[in-house]
Amino acid sequence: MAAWDLSVTVEDLGLDAPPVTISVASDLHIGGVILKLVEKTQIKQDWSDHALWWEQKQRWLLRTAWTLEKYGIHADAKLVFMPQHKPLRLGLPNGITLRLRVCFSNPVFQTVMGICRMLNIRHPEELSLLRPIEEKKKKKDKNLAPEIYDLTEVPLSSVSRPCLYNGMPAHFADSPEMEAIYKMLSVSQPPPAPEVIAKQYRPASVVDKAHINGRYVWLDSSRCLLQQGIQESDKLWLRFKYYATYDMDSKYDAVRLTQLYEQARWAILLEDIDCTEEEMMLFGALQYHISKVAQSEPQIMSNNPAMDDLDSALQSLEVKMEGEGSSASDLPKRLTLKGYKQYWFKFQDTSISYFKSKEESIGEPIQMINLKGCEVAPDVNVAAQKFLIRLLIPAPEGMNEVYLRCENEQQYAQWMAGCRLGSKGKTLADSSFQSEIQSIRSFLAMQKTNSSSSSANASEESINTHSLVSPRYHKKYKPKQLTPRILDAYQNVAQLSLTDALMRFLQIWQALPDFGLAYVVVRFKGSRKDEVLGIAPNRLIRIDLSVGDVVKTWRYNNMKQWNVNWDIRQMAIEFEGNVNIAFSCVTADCKIVHEFIGGYIFMSTRSREKSETLNEELFHKLTGGHEAL
Amino acid sequence: MDDIDAMFSAMLGEMDLLTQSLGEETVPPEALSNTKKEVNYSIGFTDLNESLHELEGNDLDALMADLMADLNATEEKLATEIECLKAPSASQPDFPPPPKGLSIEPAPSHISPSSAGSRSSNVSTPVPSAASSLAPPPPSGAKPTTEEIEAQMKADKIKLALEKLKEAKVKKLVVKVLMNDGSSKTLMVDERQNVREVLDNMFEKSHCDCNVNWSICETNPELQLERAFEDHENLVDPLSAWTRDSENKVLFQERPEKYEVFKNPQNFYLWKKDKTTLRDMKDKDKELLIQENFCGTSIIVPDLEGVLHLREDGKKSWKQRLFQLRASGIYYVPKGKTKSSRDLVCFVQFDNVNVYYGKDFKSKYKAPTDFCFVLKHPQIQKESQYIKYLCCDDIWTMNLWVTGIRIAKYGASLYENFKTAEIKASNSVWTNRSTPSSSNQSTPSPTVKAKSPNQANGHATKPQPGPISQNPAPPPPPPLAEVLPPPPPDPVLPPPPPPMAAKTASKPTPPKRNQPNNFPPPPLDMDNLPPPPPPPPTDDHLEAPPDFLPPPPPATGFNSLPPPPPSFGGVDHSLPPPPPDPVSLPPPPPDPVFVASGAPPPPPPPPPPPPAAPVATLRPAVRTSGSLKKVPPAPPKRTAPTQGGGGGGDFMSELMLAMRKKHADQ
Repeated sequence: MAAWDLSVTVEDLGLDAPPVTISVASDLHIGGVILKLVEKTQIKQDWSDHALWWEQKQRWLLRTAWTLEKYGIHADAKLVFMPQHKPLRLGLPNGITLRLRVCFSNPVFQTVMGICRMLNIRHPEELSLLRPIEEKKKKKDKNLAPEIYDLTEVPLSSVSRPCLYNGMPAHFADSPEMEAIYKMLSVSQPPPAPEVIAKQYRPASVVDKAHINGRYVWLDSSRCLLQQGIQESDKLWLRFKYYATYDMDSKYDAVRLTQLYEQARWAILLEDIDCTEEEMMLFGALQYHISKVAQSEPQIMSNNPAMDDLDSALQSLEVKMEGEGSSASDLPKRLTLKGYKQYWFKFQDTSISYFKSKEESIGEPIQMINLKGCEVAPDVNVAAQKFLIRLLIPAPEGMNEVYLRCENEQQYAQWMAGCRLGSKGKTLADSSFQSEIQSIRSFLAMQKTNSSSSSANASEESINTHSLVSPRYHKKYKPKQLTPRILDAYQNVAQLSLTDALMRFLQIWQALPDFGLAYVVVRFKGSRKDEVLGIAPNRLIRIDLSVGDVVKTWRYNNMKQWNVNWDIRQMAIEFEGNVNIAFSCVTADCKIVHEFIGGYIFMSTRSREKSETLNEELFHKLTGGHEAL
Repeated sequence: MDDIDAMFSAMLGEMDLLTQSLGEETVPPEALSNTKKEVNYSIGFTDLNESLHELEGNDLDALMADLMADLNATEEKLATEIECLKAPSASQPDFPPPPKGLSIEPAPSHISPSSAGSRSSNVSTPVPSAASSLAPPPPSGAKPTTEEIEAQMKADKIKLALEKLKEAKVKKLVVKVLMNDGSSKTLMVDERQNVREVLDNMFEKSHCDCNVNWSICETNPELQLERAFEDHENLVDPLSAWTRDSENKVLFQERPEKYEVFKNPQNFYLWKKDKTTLRDMKDKDKELLIQENFCGTSIIVPDLEGVLHLREDGKKSWKQRLFQLRASGIYYVPKGKTKSSRDLVCFVQFDNVNVYYGKDFKSKYKAPTDFCFVLKHPQIQKESQYIKYLCCDDIWTMNLWVTGIRIAKYGASLYENFKTAEIKASNSVWTNRSTPSSSNQSTPSPTVKAKSPNQANGHATKPQPGPISQNPAPPPPPPLAEVLPPPPPDPVLPPPPPPMAAKTASKPTPPKRNQPNNFPPPPLDMDNLPPPPPPPPTDDHLEAPPDFLPPPPPATGFNSLPPPPPSFGGVDHSLPPPPPDPVSLPPPPPDPVFVASGAPPPPPPPPPPPPAAPVATLRPAVRTSGSLKKVPPAPPKRTAPTQGGGGGGDFMSELMLAMRKKHADQ
């Protein structure tokens, strides 16, 4: 067969180096081309990750047994010889940027799998890569590029499940630096400064949210990075895309859980998902608690958890016994009832009794208030030295309102803690008494510092409560007004372990009515106006833009089939009962919508097959579109 | 009747004595209504003496049994104290200490560390009898390392703590439950019992069909309210909130709306769809709905939004507002605002309120319709501004809201309750149909549940695919239910194999409790011997393993510490006696420990109940307040997951879990 010249750009020779020309015949297979190429360069190195990229056709020539003829390559082809894995800057949900080597030649789905393997995130099918379209360069302070943590030295492994050392993948156990990075991945970040939150883009309406899909584009899972114009060292974001979290297990999912929490936290802070004020306070309280606990127990997976449990159980036991020993600890303190009358108060079991004076406290009290089931609310103004405890005590006739006025902070913290416990039916002997006091005091401290300080720093004593809520509440409340509200919500979560607190946060997030919705502006067939399509884990909803109301809901399990007409970029879906809908997408490519729907359907199939292996083929079948064929 | 009365008073007297000697530790039931003065202690029943007189013969038996158990508990407790606190002489039973003198209180904490040595290993020995005579195995013999000593000390502390916790006073109520036919049953409820247990008790007494709709309800005639207690709720608590002169009643009745959401989830989760779609919903779609909303990481509350009528505080008028139900509470849209979440105003959160149905509010409060529901703190018993009244346009909307609120308030418990109720229902069907060959002791057949045909309301049990199927617990997982003699309506039963069990089962009347008398072995059966006040040290408080366990010397010493969780002490006594043949006996204690530690239960467990029991108790322990503690008034025989566990229950279960975990790790 006739020989002809093929010129190939070898990336390793430098960008300016002229292409290397080799003499080939059409029946030479790709493997042979590579061999010749490598010989010609005379560079000794590991070429095993390298492959040929055909620039005009935007495709990799990965089948080394195929001949040039089979690929249809002629002398005019522009080929580039380069590594398949290249460094990429990857933004994580918690705001950290990593630099790591990812695969540029396989479909993004597999690239994500590789990333997740490296970061020890199970169920990579739930995540994907986002491309920020307009990286705004305007900001001056952008010069202060965020620190980038380098993982490019991590060897690429093909093992599906990395073996763990000390609870983390082996490659993180290599050096203290790597270990520090792993910690950053697996432990939630301290609350951001309020200004940081305020500076970020926040969608103001459903339409804004729909446009997010125009600002940030989900990459196509069935094509590779290079095909989608991603170059070496570009920045992409790794995010949870399908809100169908499956099989979360805090034992194996430290990174996954933390990153999901971070993504949820930012979704709340930036109002990507709406919630009520009460819910926001609870989210705030949980964030506060999580950051506090995360900082105090840095090693989540070390030690023997069972032993810890036992130890803590024993500890609380001891407290219990002491409490009983002193026969219902009483906390005699002078308090004042509303109207400034002084009484001698005594806390016993779950009740407060009061007496005319200390001397009479052996006898019958004037009244005994059982706190069980009552509502306890603070009414505090540190600056004015006002420390009131408001009790709403249930009685057959209704609720009785009682105010206890404490003399100082110390007294207030103790009695407040006692009342909180009492309302839950616990006595002062309960192990949580001290920590309850502690948390009340630290909230009081927050009230003090908040008045002056502006930015939050990590120290737990001075978290700015504005760091815990969305900017809407920055305007509505001053930090010190916010503090008691968050404290109030905090009481119900203060005892949670780190994992439980993370899970609680996620649960409340997942229970929000709009949870998991991705919005796209669409034009329904036969309609003259734009509407919003919401894509949820189990359904599609049609939202009227003018009112923001849900007009119609279709559930996937009633879906019979869906088709994409790629020429006119229109999706047509058929549901049971002869329901047909069709729409074209305005703010996103219809491939994105198609992939969302197919992806969710894929997610719902997971539960049925018990096997751990990911059915990649099915995923591509459901999401690939015409490329898959 | 006379002599029964006499017996009663004798017994009560005795109990009095015993309790006194314990320094007010137990509150005997009769003390409840008469003596206590605190506001929070008023109980809405006519006092005990009166209700005793009203008792019918059958109930009397049951009550007797309860009281006996009670006595035994007291006595057992006493023994425990003597056992472990030989030091303080004050606690001699026949030497009543000063009433308030909790003389034992300070003692344990001092004793424990110092006397850590060999004696304590007695305490921790789960051997039911002759604990003291059994040479305490390893620790005393070999020279204990510091580690061992430490461990020993810990073990002691745990031990002592468990005892302490058990001493907590147990409140009991005699409750008169009104039946549908106007008759009534009386039963004793102790504060650790949850509604599920009481329901089971009622099933036995009433021989009803045990379907899932059966509920225990409370009515408040003054406010014209009623509600069905949830199965996981504790019964004594809400009843204690009744005022003394209360006319409130407890009813036992079928309430189809109780679990309707699990039978027709589409009516709640897809309520906006048209009626035909809802009616023709396929079973697999229903399952999917349940799975989506109840089996995920979080419980999803139905998306409810609509205009309801709100009774204005203090006024007589009703005002319309647009309300929205969310997991975090009920909200309304303020005038002139949008429906966006951020503008919603919180109307009520569910932590401190219960939801009630209002009856006849049209005439009472001039409500627009009679479909009203109310949210109030359970302690509020009279008209008050703190009660929130809402009125719906139709009954369908009302049920939607009330159910939605229950889902938001109780979350996963609701579904758990339903699954348990379903199992109970199908078991009852199964046992009713069972042929002699399927004796009580036989291993549960996995198909049992699947084929219960006459389940409530044609809610065919679904052969659930995928993950759901593990949830409804295919064969009632903890064999308890099976192993226990089922409600005995079928007198044909007696199959030969385990004759004892059969006897128990065929006995038609409730007081199973007295049965064990007939049985040979149980060494320290707390049921048969009435008082002997200072029972020998043998009587190993509630740690006592099931009586029929071969007394295993605690070979591993401290490690094997709490072999059977304490609960079994109580439960087991009400269990049918062991099969006579000791060879087929349950595996040694460690086994249950492993079972409990999360491993899949051994597929076909050998018949004996105890090994499986941990599984049963474990579940509730994890999901709600503690459960491990379980003393006498174990209702005769059902009693899988014992709820309650008084003050320390929660903690106890945690402790047990921790111990087991630890054990498993070693």
